[in-house]
Amino acid sequence: MQIRIGVFLCDCGKSLSNIDFPKVSERAEKLQDVVHVGLHSNLCLKEGIEEMLSTIRDGAIDRVVIAACSPKLKEDAFRNALEEAGLNSNFLSLANIREQCSWAHEGDVTEKALELTAMAVERARFLKPLVKKDVPVNKEVLVVGGGFAGMKVALDLANLGLRTTLVERGLALGGRLEGFETNPAVPINSMRKAIEENRDIEVLTSAELTRGEGEVGDFSIRIKKGDEELSRSFGAIIFATGYRPEISPGDFQLRPGVNLISQEKLTEILKAPERLELRPKTIGFVLDVSDENCRLPTLSALNDALAVKERLGSEVYVFCKSLKVDSEGVEEVYREARDRGVVFVKFEERPRICSEDGRVKVELNDILLGDEITVFCDFLVAEERIMPSEGTEALSSILKMRIDSRGFCQDENVHLYPVSCERKGIFCVGACRGDLDIARASTDVAAAVLSTYELLASGTAIVEAERVKVDPEKCRVCLTCIRVCPHGAIRLVRVDTEREVAQISDLACEGCGICAAICPAKAIDFEGYGDEQILAEVQAIGESL
Amino acid sequence: METSSLVIGGGVAGVAAALALADNGSQVYLIETEPSIGGWAASFCCKATDVCTKCSVCVVPQKLQQVAIHPHISILTDSMVAGLSGGIGNFKVEVLQKPQYIPPERCIACGMCAEVCPTEPKAIRSPSPEAVPYSYVLDESRCLRLKGETCDLCRDICPTNAIDFNHEPEKKELGVGAIIVATGFEVFDAREMGCLGYGRYPNVLTGLDLERIFNREGYLKLPSNGKDPKKVAFVQCIGSRDESHGYCSQVCCKYAIRFARLIKYQNPNAEVTIFYIDLQTAGKGFAQFYEECQKNIRFVRGLPVEVLGTSSGELEVRFENISEGTVKRETFDVVALSVGISPKKDSWDLARTLGINLGECGFFDAKEPLNSNETNVEGIFLAGTCQGPRDIPDSIAHGMAAAQSAMEVLERCK
Repeated sequence: MQIRIGVFLCDCGKSLSNIDFPKVSERAEKLQDVVHVGLHSNLCLKEGIEEMLSTIRDGAIDRVVIAACSPKLKEDAFRNALEEAGLNSNFLSLANIREQCSWAHEGDVTEKALELTAMAVERARFLKPLVKKDVPVNKEVLVVGGGFAGMKVALDLANLGLRTTLVERGLALGGRLEGFETNPAVPINSMRKAIEENRDIEVLTSAELTRGEGEVGDFSIRIKKGDEELSRSFGAIIFATGYRPEISPGDFQLRPGVNLISQEKLTEILKAPERLELRPKTIGFVLDVSDENCRLPTLSALNDALAVKERLGSEVYVFCKSLKVDSEGVEEVYREARDRGVVFVKFEERPRICSEDGRVKVELNDILLGDEITVFCDFLVAEERIMPSEGTEALSSILKMRIDSRGFCQDENVHLYPVSCERKGIFCVGACRGDLDIARASTDVAAAVLSTYELLASGTAIVEAERVKVDPEKCRVCLTCIRVCPHGAIRLVRVDTEREVAQISDLACEGCGICAAICPAKAIDFEGYGDEQILAEVQAIGESL
Repeated sequence: METSSLVIGGGVAGVAAALALADNGSQVYLIETEPSIGGWAASFCCKATDVCTKCSVCVVPQKLQQVAIHPHISILTDSMVAGLSGGIGNFKVEVLQKPQYIPPERCIACGMCAEVCPTEPKAIRSPSPEAVPYSYVLDESRCLRLKGETCDLCRDICPTNAIDFNHEPEKKELGVGAIIVATGFEVFDAREMGCLGYGRYPNVLTGLDLERIFNREGYLKLPSNGKDPKKVAFVQCIGSRDESHGYCSQVCCKYAIRFARLIKYQNPNAEVTIFYIDLQTAGKGFAQFYEECQKNIRFVRGLPVEVLGTSSGELEVRFENISEGTVKRETFDVVALSVGISPKKDSWDLARTLGINLGECGFFDAKEPLNSNETNVEGIFLAGTCQGPRDIPDSIAHGMAAAQSAMEVLERCK
């Protein structure tokens, strides 16, 4: 069928005076398949769009080329207009003759405007219609990790009417915050009870993910619980696997457990101080020794220090390099701690810590005094190094998602923040994606819950079908595309008894085009960026001169 | 019961909240006191060297574009909330919109009006490249016509007849189910710390000045003589962690270190020093970056007490180097003050109109510490830096979280 292209030139209220529009118009008429060229002054305004619409309807035009301002400004308005005129919204090709032509140069730029227009016309000749279609999505959500964040995700999703399966590796829900001195206090027990009573939340404890396939809207997951292996399908997955604290005794020259105690041990002591044979006279906290770029140890040290003051009445020292106060309310807690007599000692060089006469000897250069000091503590609470949870790497490889430079979930890419990852339908919340305090984790949860709800609530998703598609005849099943796709959007599907070919999920595809560029068999076609289309565009440069 | 919602403030948190709500099907009114949305973050600059330093500024224009074309979002610029009645699920909000002399829906941004405007500086301002809506703005205080003189130059040349001097302020009443307050922050005014010479010496700048200089020019030259800076000092905690600001602004250490790195990258011979109390280097991906920076940036613990101009035009900085226990004087050619996030001075007016509480530091008060979006009024939620200091990603997360709370209200209203 003969293609009929309409070219609409806009001189932006006659302000683009360095383009000779009649000349552009005259030349454009001679371009292949062009049946109409119109000169307009305000194509972006309501009346301009109306004019264009009536021309499209009268002239039986089936491709539209608009040479006007930056596509950033009005592309969507133009696409909507096309749909209104009964044309497929993909039958639009734009030439930016304002920002990238008229405004960018001094002197006459008619030739450049003409070339840009000719390129857009060539591009238009190869456009194919894109059809929007509904794809069903599974409304069940998998939550991995039964700590504070995971529990809150499940409860909030249930509130919005989405069913969840909460998988926890440990024996019970609760996670690391169980019993910890936190600020603000976390109601773990009441949350656990609410989950038990909620029929929309299925809890699988002592369970782990073993396999994961599929993509957003349709993940097939295998979960190992004891000897059983369950197969389930989910529309989305939320990771809330938290962190793993690590104490490296290498940082101290004493035996752990004797008078170097963990945070957990301190919590135990604080819960039942009456059980102590001897009240400790001095307790020290050490920070910034194993990792000086971390917030969580500071937060717990401050809360614990206040609790020690209140319940044990001991002298408290906090040894640190730079106190991390960049979380809400921490500066206040810091001030309160100082008011209550907690002594903060700052150092530049790491303190020398050893055991002497059953006590911990901390020697350091106190930078405020400018002098070497020695402090003896009955207990030294070790700094917990915040590490990715055990198995994060395995989980990420099961679900083909990238981890960051320190091994936490979610790649370091600002466009994914706060809770997305490069695979659509998978979200990361809380400390599994870095060193996040409870307030931040709680915000993360809300953000992920809303994103999940948006994705799944209606049970269907609207997508542009086959924007990027594999030609099953040309596909040689080399798997290159499956390996390179950063979004995990490509899988093998069986076409007949003998052959499998690659297939791209319209919902999971982000349209980056990597697969189309890399396919050695040239089997992948990216609508709007086909080889012949781009070659034709390139050829248009110069030809029109 | 209403299923539409109102977001007050078009900064990054408000925009994130509006997008999240609109994507979930709510009709959103986004109101903004300025002529364009985007807030502070839209005026910030990319701080990439040869690699991305993850400042998140590039995320903002993307979100603004999404808002601009979203079918469920109506943007009301130059507008403020004047009154509120009703309650959760059924608020009636009175909105006052300043006269729209150039209505954005009529402006094609051709720039002809600004060309003919006879005043100096021009009474018609061109939009910044990322502005949403992308339209020219008439400055009432400069326009001859609005001052009573006869001048119709812009109106006559405008090809779309967009300019109308007789436009009156407009009152609108909106019915909404939930309200999100995202009015943002004020940058601390460094003039309040007179001893550091801001406003007195041209080469004493603030972090905000640097954002704008780099956004406009792409590099830093000495404001006094246009030469490359040789010695640059950053001073942290200006308007944070002091007697009247009992909090950490959370953003200054990171932007200062990123700027320091950028200056060092563009101008390897420059010596860069950062004066600090406690360096805040936590955060996703920041540790490695900071480690790199330690190689060629000098970090000095201790804040300068005084900056004085010398006869040769340099700046003499008097400071205590706490780590060395010494008081020193050193000269620099540029001193950049890392100003922090302050609560908006007019927050009180909005707090009174909406009936929500202000906290001790002057930010809006969250009802529960674990849900920092909730206010004392049911159905009104907080997003972003109007509740407390946050960086761009945290503000976006907070905006989305506010939208989630609002969404629960709207779902109940259905």
